[in-house]
Amino acid sequence: MASERESEEISVPLPSSEDASLQATWGLGNQLFVYAADRRPAKDTNGEGSDMGHTQSYDILDLRWGQDMHGPTTRKLINESHSVFVMLQGQVTSLSGSALYNQLKEASRQYRSIAKACSLELQLLMSNTVDEGEREYYGNQVELLETMQIIWSLCEILFIDIAPGEMVLVQLLNWVRWHFSAGREMAQDVINDEIPEEHPAYWEAIFRLLLQGEIERVRKLLSLHSCSQTQPFTSVEELLKKMPQWGNLRTVSLAEFDLKWRHWREECMRRYEEGHFTAFAELERVVQVLCGDMLVFSELKDYCETWYHLLISRLLYQNPTVRPTDLAFHVQACMEEFQRAGHRMGHVDNILQAALEFDLHQVIKDSSTSLGDRSWWFGAHLTDILHHCGQIDSQKLPFGSNLREYLLLEYVAGLMSHHSLWQVGVDYLDHCPVFGKEHMKLYIENLPLDSERKANKLIHICEERDLLEQVQSICKIMGVRCSQDGRLGSALSWFLRSKDVPAATRLTEKFLQDYKENGNFSHLDLLDHMGPTMLLTQQLTFLGKYREFHRMYQEKDLKGAASLLLSMLTARAAPRHFWVTLLMDALPLLETPQVILGTSQTYELMHCLEELTQDLTRNTPTSTTPSRASSTPTPQSAGTGVTAAGSSQILSQRDLEKLKLLRLALCRNLSRSIVHEGTIVPL
Amino acid sequence: MFVAKSIAVDHKDLIHDVSYDFHGRRMATCSSDQTVKVWEQGDDGTWHCTASWKTHSGSVWRVTWAHPEFGQVLATCSFDRTAAVWEKEAGQNHWLKRTSLVDSRTSVTDVKFAPKHMGLQLATSSADGIIRIYEAVDVMNLSNWSLQHEFNCHMGCSCLTWNTSRVHPPLIAMGSDDPNPSGGPKVKLYEYSEVQRKWNKVEALSVVSDAVHDIQFAPNVGRSYHLLAVASKELYIFSLKPYRKDPASNPQGNKFEIRQAGMFDCHDSQVWRVSWNVIGTILVSSGADGCVRMWKANYLGNWKCISELKGDGTPGEGHAAVAQNNQPPGTLAANGSMGANNNSSSSNAIRPPVPMNLKRNTGWPWMDIKKDSFKLFY
Repeated sequence: MASERESEEISVPLPSSEDASLQATWGLGNQLFVYAADRRPAKDTNGEGSDMGHTQSYDILDLRWGQDMHGPTTRKLINESHSVFVMLQGQVTSLSGSALYNQLKEASRQYRSIAKACSLELQLLMSNTVDEGEREYYGNQVELLETMQIIWSLCEILFIDIAPGEMVLVQLLNWVRWHFSAGREMAQDVINDEIPEEHPAYWEAIFRLLLQGEIERVRKLLSLHSCSQTQPFTSVEELLKKMPQWGNLRTVSLAEFDLKWRHWREECMRRYEEGHFTAFAELERVVQVLCGDMLVFSELKDYCETWYHLLISRLLYQNPTVRPTDLAFHVQACMEEFQRAGHRMGHVDNILQAALEFDLHQVIKDSSTSLGDRSWWFGAHLTDILHHCGQIDSQKLPFGSNLREYLLLEYVAGLMSHHSLWQVGVDYLDHCPVFGKEHMKLYIENLPLDSERKANKLIHICEERDLLEQVQSICKIMGVRCSQDGRLGSALSWFLRSKDVPAATRLTEKFLQDYKENGNFSHLDLLDHMGPTMLLTQQLTFLGKYREFHRMYQEKDLKGAASLLLSMLTARAAPRHFWVTLLMDALPLLETPQVILGTSQTYELMHCLEELTQDLTRNTPTSTTPSRASSTPTPQSAGTGVTAAGSSQILSQRDLEKLKLLRLALCRNLSRSIVHEGTIVPL
Repeated sequence: MFVAKSIAVDHKDLIHDVSYDFHGRRMATCSSDQTVKVWEQGDDGTWHCTASWKTHSGSVWRVTWAHPEFGQVLATCSFDRTAAVWEKEAGQNHWLKRTSLVDSRTSVTDVKFAPKHMGLQLATSSADGIIRIYEAVDVMNLSNWSLQHEFNCHMGCSCLTWNTSRVHPPLIAMGSDDPNPSGGPKVKLYEYSEVQRKWNKVEALSVVSDAVHDIQFAPNVGRSYHLLAVASKELYIFSLKPYRKDPASNPQGNKFEIRQAGMFDCHDSQVWRVSWNVIGTILVSSGADGCVRMWKANYLGNWKCISELKGDGTPGEGHAAVAQNNQPPGTLAANGSMGANNNSSSSNAIRPPVPMNLKRNTGWPWMDIKKDSFKLFY
């Protein structure tokens, strides 16, 4: 392998001929559109079309990657780690000191167990499938997850859950035991055998367990041997029993333990040299292991499977009190042991080596390059914990928090390509202090608004984060879309939400126009429940009031309806082109048996009618402007254009007839009201 | 893992541009066959052609989407010296030509909508070197566009790009495909001055002396600098950092501290196209060597190629034939009638996803840390 990672090469099923080369456009997330295009620059092609003999049709390739994250099992991984992540971020701000430290350790364990659960589930899927391709796929996934766990646990031991007293080997032994279970399984087989010592794997099981420091189990197996009561066996049994165990001696100091251990080893050596065990070659090897004999470890290395297992096994019997920082000195020898046997060192080996050498940066970098699509999951979460542990803060690495955020953003980029996982991504962005918000804005702008529900969800997310501009934009897009589809009611409610004055005004006009044409309102529920939002524009206020007038009229509150109608006219809230309609609406009120409109109100109405007809008779552009200025004391910023356009309409003959009728009705009503009110007492 | 789906676009000639709408549910393609096709993605992820119509009387160079706030609006530009704005008719799959912008006297080489915060504006570049900026008088009625600004770059324009930053004054970068290398810098930057109400030339990138075929600003994600990708003989990535504003000493507007973040001589001779992803972290470039390359910066800001896409040489005709064969007979019939500017959702000859035999995509650019030099690899 070259020292520098080559960029990968991918071949796609597209032509690669002389006159066509590939071009690409980004889609959303991890998606590219690749297509064959002209090799020559655009300028040189003959613009007059297809006289160049291109008869074939050109395909576009919709290319996506990073989809591994989207399987159902992996989604569980993502969702569960998400909740751990969010909780941890909360604890980081609220806790400190050892309380926080305990939480960090806990979170690290939780991440690992989530990965483990995911891997077990994949294993189950693998055993249930018959499809060869699927099986291979699951197999690869399981391997990747297991690899991640190996690396993660080692990092946890070295950087997160640091053992007090620098006795790191106990944890490392657990690490090895956890990930290499073949010895224990073998031992179980052996024990279940009728004659254990004749089981072909009897000694192998013993050695495997011994190399993992599983002394109790080794003793159990040895006791099953038919010669277990002979002197060599009892001697080994005694040695094993006496072997100092750190776990049992928690009260002693490291130095004391070291002393005890040296005594024990000297005894092992002594017994070995005295030749107690020569009768049993295998037993002799057991004692050689106990003595930490270099050669015997080389012979047994295949039982260790990997160099890092060998490393831990050797340290257990040669230098159990090794300090974490000294681990690196022993790495090379163990690796060479395996290289001599023809093993090639892969990515995982490099990563683990880097970890043992305390080169965190290298660990994160290498795991991000070599662990497939889930590498961002791994890198982002591990780095986050390490960051909070202070392992990669800016003092230790010049780009500490940078690195964390970089990895988190990469992880989010993968999530955002997914149709539902984007919600998880949003929470991660919240914890990216530098670029999180800006990235969020861009993502939100590009997330497809497939349904009202999704739009509302996004709006909620934006509102929580104070992204008001984005809220407005979403409402506007939804509004435009609704009005395109002819759903004017929903469109109006979206525009009201975004407080979009021009769009709302335009829609209101449409509503009024509809009413003028059809004589009834659509979207009553919306109009009836506008509340204070109707104050957004003058047109809308009028529309709301006008609808209220209709309701009062229907509810037979004629007095109220009449005064509302009058106030709409006198306050000049109504657009001028609507006045005819309004005045005609007054007609039934004038014709009722009892008098509803009083004299002064009738006068007002007459005034309005007169104003309108005068306006219409002097219907030249020069005259409308002053008349309108005089008749509209309130500034009509939003409605100016509309009013001008409306008043320039020439009334139809039918409208004129109607107005005449109205004039008559007004006069009749006036006389009735005079009598009714008795304002003019007959002499 | 890469998954590829082929879309039989059925253009009668070379495709010049593929443009993706903001939400990723629609795609527009344009071609030398003078047509534009609009595609929509169904719930199952397949692409259906919803409209196909003749737009111009010459090759259509570019097609671009306006922000969805303005509805479904497309702009195209063509060899026939015009640019056009199209809007989808409400409730229909018809696209109506709202306006034809006929000011140019030469081929219109590029058309781009301004970032949304500037309203509905449109910039066109033409082969005679003039950039025009139009604005919709009323966003509700797209038939009325007024020519707001016009400036001459004094060399043939091939491409232009708007800077998307909201916090900086409007900025346009243009590229020229003038083949004369001694003709001066081929990339110029123009900034709008609110005070003078005009566009001023603020920078010229003298490093780029060869013809420029494409140019694109990366989306600004709150960086203090702008990233500009230039496709010329080499691929350039520039970072442009505005100097602190000081109107007194600098009446011409901001100047930039320009740094060349990357220059790659990778595509043998010419780079044709560049395209950024939505968050401006990955760039794709395509060039004369027939490859598509992806570029990514690590957290130290070093740009590296992370992957390379190559055609596997599947001949175009044979490939198309495969796609045709997979079509059920019914769709073939629909396909035949599609040439006549109809809007049937035909041409769904999309084959099942083909998992390709690829290496894992790492997406992690290599970096130069001293450590690497003595680390052993096997």
